Amino acid sequence: MLAGVRPPAYPAVHVRGLAVRRIFPEVFVIRHDVIVLGAGCAGMRAAIEAKRRGVDVAVISKLHPTRSHSGAAEGGINAALGNATDDSPDSHAFDTIKGSDYLGDQDAIEVFAQEAPNDIYELEHMGAIFTRAGDGKLAQRPFGAAGAPRTVYSADITGHVLIHVLYEQLVKHDVKVYEEFFATQVVVDEGRCAGVIAWDTKKGGLHAIEANHVILATGGVGRMYYGTTNAFACTGDGMSLAWRAGVPLKDMEFLQFHPTTLKSNGVLITEGCRGEGGYLRNKDGDRFMAADAPNAMELASRDVVSRAEWKEIADGRGVDGCVLLDLTHLGWKKIKSRLPGSRELAMDYAGVDPIETPIPVRPGAHYMMGGVDCDLWGETMVPGLWAAGEVACVSIHGANRLGGNSLMETIVFGRRAGQAAAERVLEQGDTGARIEPGVLADEDRRIAGILNNAEGERPGLLREELAKTMYDKAGVYRTEAALTECLETVRDLRERAKTLKLDDHGSIFNTDLTTALELISLLECADCLVTSALARKESRGAHSRLDHTERDDEHWLKHTINWCDDGEVRLDYRPVTITKHQPLARSY
Amino acid sequence: MTEIKNAHFTTLKGAYDTETMEATLRIRRYDPDTGKARFDQFTVTVPVTASVLDALDAIKDTRDGTLAYRKSCRMAVCGSCGMRIDGGAALACKTPMKKFVDAGHTITVSPMGNLPVIKDLVVDMAPFWEKIRAVKPYLDTRDEEVPDKEWRVSPEHGDLIHKESLCILCGCCVSECNSMESDPDFLGPAALAKAYRFVGDARDTDTRERLRDLNGAHGIWDCTRCYFCNQRCPKGVDPRDAIAKLGAESFKEGFVRDEGARHAKVFVDSTYKGGYLRETELVPKTIGPVNAIKDIPFALQLARAGKVPNPLSPHKAKDNDEVKRLWKLLEKEAKGAERPRAQHPDAVREG
Repeated sequence: MLAGVRPPAYPAVHVRGLAVRRIFPEVFVIRHDVIVLGAGCAGMRAAIEAKRRGVDVAVISKLHPTRSHSGAAEGGINAALGNATDDSPDSHAFDTIKGSDYLGDQDAIEVFAQEAPNDIYELEHMGAIFTRAGDGKLAQRPFGAAGAPRTVYSADITGHVLIHVLYEQLVKHDVKVYEEFFATQVVVDEGRCAGVIAWDTKKGGLHAIEANHVILATGGVGRMYYGTTNAFACTGDGMSLAWRAGVPLKDMEFLQFHPTTLKSNGVLITEGCRGEGGYLRNKDGDRFMAADAPNAMELASRDVVSRAEWKEIADGRGVDGCVLLDLTHLGWKKIKSRLPGSRELAMDYAGVDPIETPIPVRPGAHYMMGGVDCDLWGETMVPGLWAAGEVACVSIHGANRLGGNSLMETIVFGRRAGQAAAERVLEQGDTGARIEPGVLADEDRRIAGILNNAEGERPGLLREELAKTMYDKAGVYRTEAALTECLETVRDLRERAKTLKLDDHGSIFNTDLTTALELISLLECADCLVTSALARKESRGAHSRLDHTERDDEHWLKHTINWCDDGEVRLDYRPVTITKHQPLARSY
Repeated sequence: MTEIKNAHFTTLKGAYDTETMEATLRIRRYDPDTGKARFDQFTVTVPVTASVLDALDAIKDTRDGTLAYRKSCRMAVCGSCGMRIDGGAALACKTPMKKFVDAGHTITVSPMGNLPVIKDLVVDMAPFWEKIRAVKPYLDTRDEEVPDKEWRVSPEHGDLIHKESLCILCGCCVSECNSMESDPDFLGPAALAKAYRFVGDARDTDTRERLRDLNGAHGIWDCTRCYFCNQRCPKGVDPRDAIAKLGAESFKEGFVRDEGARHAKVFVDSTYKGGYLRETELVPKTIGPVNAIKDIPFALQLARAGKVPNPLSPHKAKDNDEVKRLWKLLEKEAKGAERPRAQHPDAVREG
């Protein structure tokens, strides 16, 4: 057993009459019908749905639920309610398909757009505090690349409002939460998902938590980039857990860069700023979007705006490595009422008050369009393992996500995964998959190896090296040469990360250990991303190759599949589902 | 598409260029294995834009990896990094280092108060979450028929709970709460702000029951009105204001029996009558004549120390009418404000 690890202070847990099997003196096995890994919007929505359907569900999260990164989403959540102007789910679906540069699966997008409005009403009934229009209905604002004002919002703290309303429902439904438990392995037993092994950060010690079904909802992987809007916690843990468990990752080369992030720490300034009428200007004061998107201007799709900004900065028309987001013409009243959070962020982290001064912004890594390959209900190739939210790739977003679609995805597909997993439990009952003592002992040795190692390099410094390499060589624009160099560095870092120097060898709140585990996840995801990007010889959505500048539907209208071959990345491809809309040239 | 003039670029020039500075922090350490606490001092090089959290990260990565603290969003929305900076709770990510460096000041960083310490700057938040759970923290529309579409809520009614909706449950208010220091069972500012978020919600119909519970022991009347919660809240929630609003709502619902409520009522009545507070009648009317008699020895002690005003000739305002006019103005305003109600969409006629 782990050196220095005390037995957990918990009494044996009894779940639905199942006596708990105790394997080692220090480790308890707990069993639930359904485990949700991650407690952001998708995870909590899934757990609430499963619990409502009467199955025993528990949430495991490395953070307290309200600390999850969904809470940082600002601008809003898209659904064709038609409150502001006429709108329809078909129109929402078409905008999403076009936005995805035709890589999104159209059957999934149709389901998404159809089910979105009811999910919004349900959130409202749960108590979500949305901004209201004068008639008392939910207000809707315009967002990038959308044909109608379709984004429901709560000023510019929409994610915050949603994460709190979902947490309230989690409390209401009395869902068990294993807070600050770090999942280290998804266990597959005879081809079925058997549960997870998790490290209790607060008290130390590994726990085997068995389940008939595991829903991954661990979010994104932005921390592999230096300039990123993502929280420290967004390290691709779920993607890496699934990949190692034999589920492929899909479309990992498509990483969205958000056009308006702060230089100092990557913090996001919402698209809502442009939705409310903000301009992007270069150092000469010109609205440079006129060149690339004469109609949509600042409200073109995010990949288009990010590329335009990158060009301005690289061609010397930027200001200190940034362009300027100008809100000064909106007036203090509108800024204070509609964009108070953005103003606060600009003042705290860029030192400017947007009422008086434009905010310097640049593109930053924001959202992983790719992720764990799964079907329309979130089920993966491994029976019993599901995925929802940013960790998953259904795929709704294809090569580029529209602003406001990710929060909606967490709710629609979180609910669907929770529902489907619960129905499966009610049909099948106990699947019989177990976490065998040998598996736990092996994992125990692996974690102990990392925990006790005092030689090698510090995990935080390797992470910084990875982040800078990715931002420089696999960023908004990519080339064969840069990606090849990038891949070499990533592979080298993966080798070096096999021996990480930990200062902390204790068991209680050891964040040195979790940083090391997160680094391993980041590196595996980075390997998938760069390998896929190097292979895709076209430019589509967020994947922009300077050496292959055109979209190539003949050869590349297909999903990239990343398999894990004994820790190495193996590529494969799969066709895109097209129902109504044949690919067209994409312009805004 | 415009041509890319600079044909071979993937890297943004100057992406990492930043000025740096030397930051010094004194950190309270606590080792759970030995049970011993100590202070460590570190000096690290950080960008001039660094927050206290960035400085802690620099220490962790390059100086001492055993340092424990919570962090996640680094943009003041997740509520993980609450800690005491120079003795007062704040979010480490929202506190810039530069002002301290410029002043040549070494900051002292220690864990939040009123919560047990687990390790270094990490506190056990379990008691905090228990309090949140205790105020029934979810919308209850009771027997109302749930509509197919959204409830109709006017923007004005929606705004009533705007400030409370900003709360990120970081615990900074609880850390500094004076009342919780003496009564750990006091619900505390964060839970009470959460409670008002529902009491003030036009859709919630459980108002009376909520207020009855909040008027119980360890409820709203145990607040000492020190305003430290308002002062330390990093998000402008102003929990003390929420507690005051809960008090006002309680009066409207007729919950006036609690000592705290009586105290507030006597306070108002006394000033209405004389323009000044009559301390000698405040005590018996608040705690009752029997308890007041029991407290006579204490009153005499206070009198000896010169802390009791002359009970026989109380202060009286020169122009008491002015006080009364003010009082009536406020009362009218309060009566004018009806309880916000959401409307069923079917009950709304489309214009």
